[in-house]
Amino acid sequence: MNSMLERLSKEFRVTDITERHPGLTTLTADKDVAETLLRELRDREGYTHLNFMTAIDYIERGVFTLVYMLHNYATKSTLSVHVNIDRVNAEMTSIHTLWAQAWTYQRELRELWGINFPGSPRVEEDFCLEGWEEIPPMRREFDTVEYCERTFTSREGRGTVNPREHMAEIIFPNRGGDK
Amino acid sequence: MPQPPTHSSSLDMAQPEPIDLSSGKYVKLWQGPQHPGITGNMSLELTLCGDEIVECKTHVGYLHRGFEKFMERRTYIQNFTVVCRIAVPEPTFNEYLYSAAIEELAGIEVPERANWLRALNLEMMRLASFLMWTGGMSGAFGLYTVPNWTLTYRDYILDLFEELTGARIYHMYIVPGGVRNVLPDGWKARALEILKGTEKMMREVDRVMMNNAVFKARSKGLGLIPPDMVDPYGIVGPNARAAGFKRDLRKDEPYLVYDQLDFEVVTATASDAYERAWVRQQEIFQCINLIRQMLERMPDSGPFQAQMPNVLHWKIPPGETYLKAECTRGEYGYYVVTDGSEYVRRVHVRGPSYTHAIAVMERLAVGTNIADIAGLMVSLHTYPPEIER
Amino acid sequence: MSLKDLISPFFVWQRAFEKPYTVGLKPIVERPGAPAYRGFHINMSDDCVGCGSCFTICQNHAIDMVKVDGLEAHGGDSGLRPRFDYGRCCWCGLCVDICTAGSLRMTNEYAWFTTNPDDFRFVAGMENKSWDGRTGGYHRHPDYHLFPPKRIEMEMLAPEESVASFTEVAKGYTEEQAKLEADRCVECGICVATCPAHMDVPDYIHSIRDGDYEKGLQLMYRTNPFPATCGRICTRRCESVCPVGIQGEPVAIRWLKRFIVDQVAEADYARILPNVEADTGKRIAIVGAGPGGLSAAYYLRLKGHAVEVFESQAQAGGMLRYGVPSYRLPDPALDKDIEHIRSLGVEIHFNHSIGRDTAFSDLLDNYDAVFVSTGLNVPSQMRIQGEDHPRVMDGLKLLDDVANGKDPQIGTSVAVIGGGNVAMDAARVSRRLGAEVTVLYRRRIEDMPADTEEIHEAQAEGCIFVTQAIPVEALNAAQSDQVTLKWGEAEMLQDPKGGRPRPVLQEERMHLDTFDTVVSAIGQGSNLDYIPTEISDQLQIKWGKFIPGDYQQMVLNKLFVGGDVANATADAISAIEDGHHAARGIHRFLDTGQRG
Repeated sequence: MNSMLERLSKEFRVTDITERHPGLTTLTADKDVAETLLRELRDREGYTHLNFMTAIDYIERGVFTLVYMLHNYATKSTLSVHVNIDRVNAEMTSIHTLWAQAWTYQRELRELWGINFPGSPRVEEDFCLEGWEEIPPMRREFDTVEYCERTFTSREGRGTVNPREHMAEIIFPNRGGDK
Repeated sequence: MPQPPTHSSSLDMAQPEPIDLSSGKYVKLWQGPQHPGITGNMSLELTLCGDEIVECKTHVGYLHRGFEKFMERRTYIQNFTVVCRIAVPEPTFNEYLYSAAIEELAGIEVPERANWLRALNLEMMRLASFLMWTGGMSGAFGLYTVPNWTLTYRDYILDLFEELTGARIYHMYIVPGGVRNVLPDGWKARALEILKGTEKMMREVDRVMMNNAVFKARSKGLGLIPPDMVDPYGIVGPNARAAGFKRDLRKDEPYLVYDQLDFEVVTATASDAYERAWVRQQEIFQCINLIRQMLERMPDSGPFQAQMPNVLHWKIPPGETYLKAECTRGEYGYYVVTDGSEYVRRVHVRGPSYTHAIAVMERLAVGTNIADIAGLMVSLHTYPPEIER
Repeated sequence: MSLKDLISPFFVWQRAFEKPYTVGLKPIVERPGAPAYRGFHINMSDDCVGCGSCFTICQNHAIDMVKVDGLEAHGGDSGLRPRFDYGRCCWCGLCVDICTAGSLRMTNEYAWFTTNPDDFRFVAGMENKSWDGRTGGYHRHPDYHLFPPKRIEMEMLAPEESVASFTEVAKGYTEEQAKLEADRCVECGICVATCPAHMDVPDYIHSIRDGDYEKGLQLMYRTNPFPATCGRICTRRCESVCPVGIQGEPVAIRWLKRFIVDQVAEADYARILPNVEADTGKRIAIVGAGPGGLSAAYYLRLKGHAVEVFESQAQAGGMLRYGVPSYRLPDPALDKDIEHIRSLGVEIHFNHSIGRDTAFSDLLDNYDAVFVSTGLNVPSQMRIQGEDHPRVMDGLKLLDDVANGKDPQIGTSVAVIGGGNVAMDAARVSRRLGAEVTVLYRRRIEDMPADTEEIHEAQAEGCIFVTQAIPVEALNAAQSDQVTLKWGEAEMLQDPKGGRPRPVLQEERMHLDTFDTVVSAIGQGSNLDYIPTEISDQLQIKWGKFIPGDYQQMVLNKLFVGGDVANATADAISAIEDGHHAARGIHRFLDTGQRG
């Protein structure tokens, strides 16, 4: 394991190697070497199982972090490969030729995050949102509450009272700290 | 166990001949989204030539509720009431994995007794889910008596859940920090009684379903998953075990108390609809056995919840983890990222159906008879809500 | 295909004659939910305090806190009750788990038919429902908690150590302890109404969780310029209503307050806290530099008024300085508070007695407003024979002497009469001076007005408590430097009207005990002799206490009063609030000429 990680950091310039718990290691790879790295891990290191792939929106850093979770059944170890990509015109190399379910993930990432994977089969098709016209909803700036308030109407007659403010009003209207 | 295959051989995506619908040779047919053969709502867009399927496209989204998104807007404790809804027939795995991931990130150690109660819940859930699946499987092949039997016993198990957790489906019992309650008085005895009945009933199911000439004729050879397809497609659980892969997370990477229990991983030799069904039948018996072992060995006293912080403003330090458990369909996983705030930064739920119901289904459907498509779907045991989360 | 496979499916027929699992169509038997079923909500409205924790935790926004007819906000109850919207509820039961009062639970009823959708929005426990009175249903298991029920213990000096010196007994929280304790707060804000000064308790506790102590200090000074003091000796009514305390221990609000002050150096106060506004040209006289007077001085000075304080003693602080022993409130803590007030330009004339050095009427003539907060400094009499015996001493004098560094010469055996905080202080001070101490109190321990913690610490330090003991007479003892106390046992007589039980002296059970000193600490009264009768005749004064109007204003427009001499609670925090409120009234009066 360690020798492999050493080799990876040398050959693929992977960084941020962190063991999260025994059997789960995360590392970060550059976008341009990611596909080669994944292929290498699959074919030479026994990480044959793609648990899943997904993205995290780090809007504050202007990046999406793509996460490829790979598992090696023989050594029972899991590698979480992180790839940071630019949030603007987000695009990543497709890995549909590496794993057969990857294109589904890529279709999902395209729809829910707006990350494109050129060449990935049916990547343009709707995944689970039909006729969605808003920004991709998994992006952090998509505000679910705002969307709901804009789209749906609430039932009349709801409303809550804050206990502290209520008590202030009833019990000590002119006291306490200056407002 | 077969050698891990080379990937390249199995990665050929089904690329059918361009289909000219106006040729009069083909029929396009939608199955679903409301079809009892599929547990949950999804649909298959089928192109038929005669009664043979030449192309299958899957459509999901009918159950998309955006769980992963709105978990980012709820506190850690609030999310625990949300996660169970991600897989309706098996909410408990969501509860366990979410809680365990949160506990790992927050550095909370769960007491031993809670681990036993959690494992007990997971196995009961597995049993209930398998019973429902057995009903669905036999129904999909026209045997309508078996569903009546199995769903009856599933209901008895739900009665046990109701008594223990206060609810039949969305138990919300496994909570970050431990569990919410302990076994009520007399519960063990009632559970053993129901297990006995279930076991007897399952022997009868074995007789009328697994040894049924019609069922055998239709399911054998249906939807065969060759071993070299398993890893490239990310196939897990009974679907992979039926192909001879001796992989079970309860054995390979034991969590909770599974390292203290006696059981063998069930495998078969050819993953067709029949053998997959057979593996699940065996796992039902295994499951009953595991529950009995646990009822016998679990501690009856001691704490069942770790010392918790005030959940109303619970912050968890930055970190990430991926935890998985063996559900009825294989590897179920929670990937959780925290950023130090009161809200989770990202949750990704990995359900086995994601690949089983889409990539695998689309490939296996080609060449199948339209009459068997429901049976094929059920034999892969998929729950669409875990696809679209 | 084998013959067996053809035959075996017919096995299903074997069950054809079995009794069906399902129940018959008629009559439909209603199946009750399991005993722990999470069904419809029920709320014991009398136990509920309306803290709103259920509202906070509900992830579906299914709960509103609403006003209910017949329930008013009072004491530790907001008067609000949760209203459930079953169009949104998911029956998770988190509201039950978090319920601080333990009043909310779920019944095992799960069927409810109505044609009006608005019916499904209801205030549980306040509207009649078919499941009222059901005992079954989900409730929180006693060993399962969503917030820690026990408080973080404050580390104290061991009794054998504490009794040997005047070192502060409570050591203060470490940062880790304070954060853990601050974490227990549910932020309901019920305490704010009960705190006499209405401090922003949840907010400054929040600042501890954030590690932002400067913000915490700012929040405290909004309502209280004596946080270092109150963080040590406050009577903490807030804790008595803290909902967390209903099923567990209340949040240690007082210790958390102290923690914040201890984190900020006095040198930083000027930078952190608000500064004085532009000079208004108005002059205000304040009589008494106790917590009431200095609180008024602080808030008036902030508004830009010139403030002069007249203090008869040599140091500021009043009862805090001379009545509270330093093992509870060390001088540096009190000085920290007072120094900040003085640093803003509040002028204090020490050893300056109104009535003696300056006439009261001169104050009224020469200043734009006068605030009087002279406290209670005359010990109450026991009204027994021999009370003037030279070995009978009053508790305030004892404390005063010790605070001034004088040896009160109490000897080695002391009897303290009384059950209030002054009695506890006198007893514990006597222990520190090396005496064996017996506390005699006419009622039971649970009737003592003293802080429970004080009582426990006094006991731990070896004070012997004799309850239901009524002093009858102080007699000359065999030795001239001793006194013999005659006291009788008392029986508690229940009040037929339901008031608190009354002790009745049992004439036949009398005791004679000899002590070096008997300390009387049964209460204090005021001395208002400095007010000339022609003025006091115009004022409303009852039992030696002022009865102020709104904003602490008296009928004489210029005169405002506060503190022990003007309220019934007679504690520091009430005096601070009186001062703050009077300051607000004075400012308003000077600004607009309006009365309260």
